[in-house]
Amino acid sequence: MTVFTQFWSTYGSVVQFALINMLLGISIYFTLYTGLLSLANAGFMAVGAYVSAILTIHAGTPLPISLLAGAFSAGFIGWLLGLPVLRLRDVYLAIATLGFGEIVRITAVNFDKFSGLTLLGGAQGLDGIPKLTTPAGLIFSLILLSFFLIQFHRSRAGRALAAIRRDENVAATMGIDVAGYKLLAFVLGAFVAGLAGGFSAHLTRFVGPNDFTFSAAVNILAFAVLGGTAHWAGPLLGAAILTVLPEALRFMGEYRGIVNGLILVLVILYLPRGLFNPKWLTRRKEAGHAQA
Amino acid sequence: MKHPIRIFSLLTLLSVLLAACAPAATPTPEAPAATEAPAATEAPAATEAPAMPASNLPAEITLGAVHDLSGATALYGTSIQKGIDLAVKQMNEQKFFGDATTVKVLYEDAAGDPKQAIAAFEKLIANPDVTLILGPTLSSEAKSADPVAQEAKMPIIASSNTAGGITTIGDYIFRTSLPESAVIPNTIKVTKQALSLTKVAVMYGNDDAFTQSGFDVFKAALQAEGVEILTEETFAKGDTDFSAQLTKIQSLAPDAIVISALAEEAANIMLQARTLGITVPFIGGNGFNSPKLAEIAGPAAEGAISGAAWNIASTYPASADFVAAFNTEYGGNPDQFAAQAYTAAWVAAYAIKSADSVDHAAVRDALAQTTGVESPLGFFAFDANRDPVHEPVVLMVKDGKFTVYQP
Amino acid sequence: MFWQQVVNAIWLGAVYSLFSLGYTLVFGVLGILNLAHPSLYMWGAFIGLMCVNAGLPLWLALPLAMIFSGLMGVLLDRIAFKTLRDRNAPHLATLISSIGASIFLISAAQGVFSAQVSRFPFGVFPVKVFTLGPVTITLLQISILAISLAIMLFLRWLLMGTKLGQATRAVAFNPVTAARLGIPVDRVIMQTFFLAGALAGAAGVLLGLAFNAISPFMGGPMNLKGLTVIVLGGLGNIEGAVLGGFILSFSEVMSVAYLSSDLRDAVSFVLLLIILLFRPNGLLGRSSAKRA
Repeated sequence: MTVFTQFWSTYGSVVQFALINMLLGISIYFTLYTGLLSLANAGFMAVGAYVSAILTIHAGTPLPISLLAGAFSAGFIGWLLGLPVLRLRDVYLAIATLGFGEIVRITAVNFDKFSGLTLLGGAQGLDGIPKLTTPAGLIFSLILLSFFLIQFHRSRAGRALAAIRRDENVAATMGIDVAGYKLLAFVLGAFVAGLAGGFSAHLTRFVGPNDFTFSAAVNILAFAVLGGTAHWAGPLLGAAILTVLPEALRFMGEYRGIVNGLILVLVILYLPRGLFNPKWLTRRKEAGHAQA
Repeated sequence: MKHPIRIFSLLTLLSVLLAACAPAATPTPEAPAATEAPAATEAPAATEAPAMPASNLPAEITLGAVHDLSGATALYGTSIQKGIDLAVKQMNEQKFFGDATTVKVLYEDAAGDPKQAIAAFEKLIANPDVTLILGPTLSSEAKSADPVAQEAKMPIIASSNTAGGITTIGDYIFRTSLPESAVIPNTIKVTKQALSLTKVAVMYGNDDAFTQSGFDVFKAALQAEGVEILTEETFAKGDTDFSAQLTKIQSLAPDAIVISALAEEAANIMLQARTLGITVPFIGGNGFNSPKLAEIAGPAAEGAISGAAWNIASTYPASADFVAAFNTEYGGNPDQFAAQAYTAAWVAAYAIKSADSVDHAAVRDALAQTTGVESPLGFFAFDANRDPVHEPVVLMVKDGKFTVYQP
Repeated sequence: MFWQQVVNAIWLGAVYSLFSLGYTLVFGVLGILNLAHPSLYMWGAFIGLMCVNAGLPLWLALPLAMIFSGLMGVLLDRIAFKTLRDRNAPHLATLISSIGASIFLISAAQGVFSAQVSRFPFGVFPVKVFTLGPVTITLLQISILAISLAIMLFLRWLLMGTKLGQATRAVAFNPVTAARLGIPVDRVIMQTFFLAGALAGAAGVLLGLAFNAISPFMGGPMNLKGLTVIVLGGLGNIEGAVLGGFILSFSEVMSVAYLSSDLRDAVSFVLLLIILLFRPNGLLGRSSAKRA
């Protein structure tokens, strides 16, 4: 027990950051699963973080309400953005969504100056957010989302998204509403990213525009690709590893960045399809059947 | 054998605690001694308890330090690290804590990321050997990580946070960095008179907390002095080309250009402004105060005026000794980040010595009582809000070096 | 003021084009976004600086830096990309590999050169200011403008007018067919990476001279501009990179001059989104469906 307390007092935040990043992993999984390369998640996270933090500070709303408001705002903006940009493909979509993320960041920087209000705090960010995020809340959300994902994959919508990823044109000829389902995936991703942003704001007690830069967007993509996009557990694994890795490498001192980069390259070279292999699950199932 | 010592140190502790409740004017024990003993060169001649046979300090005092040692802000973190390392080296060389006690620093990198700052703070707080934490580098990191330290009652001494709302996080949070609000109004007042400013253009980085808060203070100070702001031009972190903003400023013909930027950015602004044929003076804040300004801008930096918390050209012994020691150690001049970090480490040392304990609460109370510690920044003391109290200076670049501005 | 702003915009456009040419070249041939390109640019600047500090004249330091970063580009391909190509790994894996490589290269540069900002010594390039009526321009600015255009013409000639270019275009079109036709695909790829690396190195030295801000992190802010530029022009398109560079620079300079410098970056990204909505493959880009 004391070992656990010692561990928790040393690494409690790291574990919670990993859980938040797992949420972000799920958020980008929705779009990647549909074959969309979107880098808007950092921007959606910013929307969720600012909206929920402002509600908590100024309206005193309880955490779940703030979080949901943040997530719904992010989802709504995702819908507005998705309508026009989802016609783009591959890297063009990636850069367009990256541009959106930058617009969100620039808005956060300039909002107070142009509106004359004191709301977002400009470059200095928003501080004094109460620390309301708990590990239990994060774990609960993750379990809920995992159940949702399992159900979703079995649903009509889930199968439609898989078909779109395999071949958009074939899916369209099969009568699948490609544009509609793409938008659905995009909005779901935005919603979850907004939720993660809310959790993050109420954990670090601070939201600033520089938490949501280009590199934050690319990091989220790295969670999913390193973990593997074939199964939703992949991004979870990737997020956990990429959060813990820099902390675990602290003992390397000034060589931390070098080793961190090297590990990332090596893992992706040897496991280009990601760390998580969906076959693990089927094999275990087969083994289970054999036993029964 | 042990009892008298313990009782004595208990008494010392109590007296410190008592002193903490007393009015701020009460001099701390080291104040009289410190006046003649610059920290940088020799061990303070006297301590609060010369008769004490042995100290209560452990064989090794561990200071934690959370700074940006990697990432784009490593520029400042590594400069700070040099300042701290130099201070600790001197403490150990001059046996500041006596023959039986040495000091070491545990560094944790925050990489400019508030999340990493929290993780680093937690790691150091969980380490029972760590007496206090020096850091973090950025105000945004402080706003995330300082509450963690405050809850754990771990004393924090920041040396580079200049934004408002840092030390108000709690009574365990101290800083040796003079906030911009204590530096800039004085600069504007002095330069307005000397240069008879009526209208200026302002340039600042609008996506950086340091440069934006500097701008806010500049704006208020200019308005208070009745100087007209012709235009507020902004740039983004990492920008290298400022010619569009400067061309616009040139067309408005200001009396001076007020810049809230870090030295590296400001240097390029100056170079490009002079190339465009802009001849008016530049006025800046703490961000200017780095040898990098003249190193990068060269002749373009001549005449640039900077408000600052620390003056590298000061003949004040503790400052001159610090600059000399820094040059011997690293082969280059220190910047203000290094000077303030060096001060923070020494302030910590004096507090630990006066508390004669590595207990967090005792050290905190001793820190709050800090007065008259000799430092490169002058006689160092904290005010009631745990911010530093000392006079800002106005400097001017002359022949590639900062000198005190004499209008 | 207007004509000076036009000159500012032309000069900045040359800067953006120079940075982006190598970036887009790699994409044109291999279809991968090499996010380590900005790190080669940074290393090029440092090598040039080292040569000059060692007493070499600039005209020797520039080609040396180009050769060094060209070789670094080849090494980068051998280590981070070739294995993935051989295994026919998904493109996203390549993207993550390039991120890992870039973290490594930046951390290594910090280890070798420290985090401090450096500049070329005064007088390495003559400071000459020309004043023509209302307009001021320096010799360095004119040189960089000329070099950017020369490199663009050279690349165009190389790709369109030489045998090597023919082979490169064949590889870009379809590596499998190219290999069957007897084209040494691997060698062509190596040459491409050498060329792209050398271009990054040249940009590093020249922009290092122009902006006096050489640091391990100098590639980051440029990266976002570079990505915008190559997507605007059409990925893989040499003329597109130049066109994109000038569109971005004019948008930036004119919004500072006549709107507000606060809105400069927001205007650029909104412009990017609008252009992509009308031209989903950039201004001069081909349909990505055909490439795939």
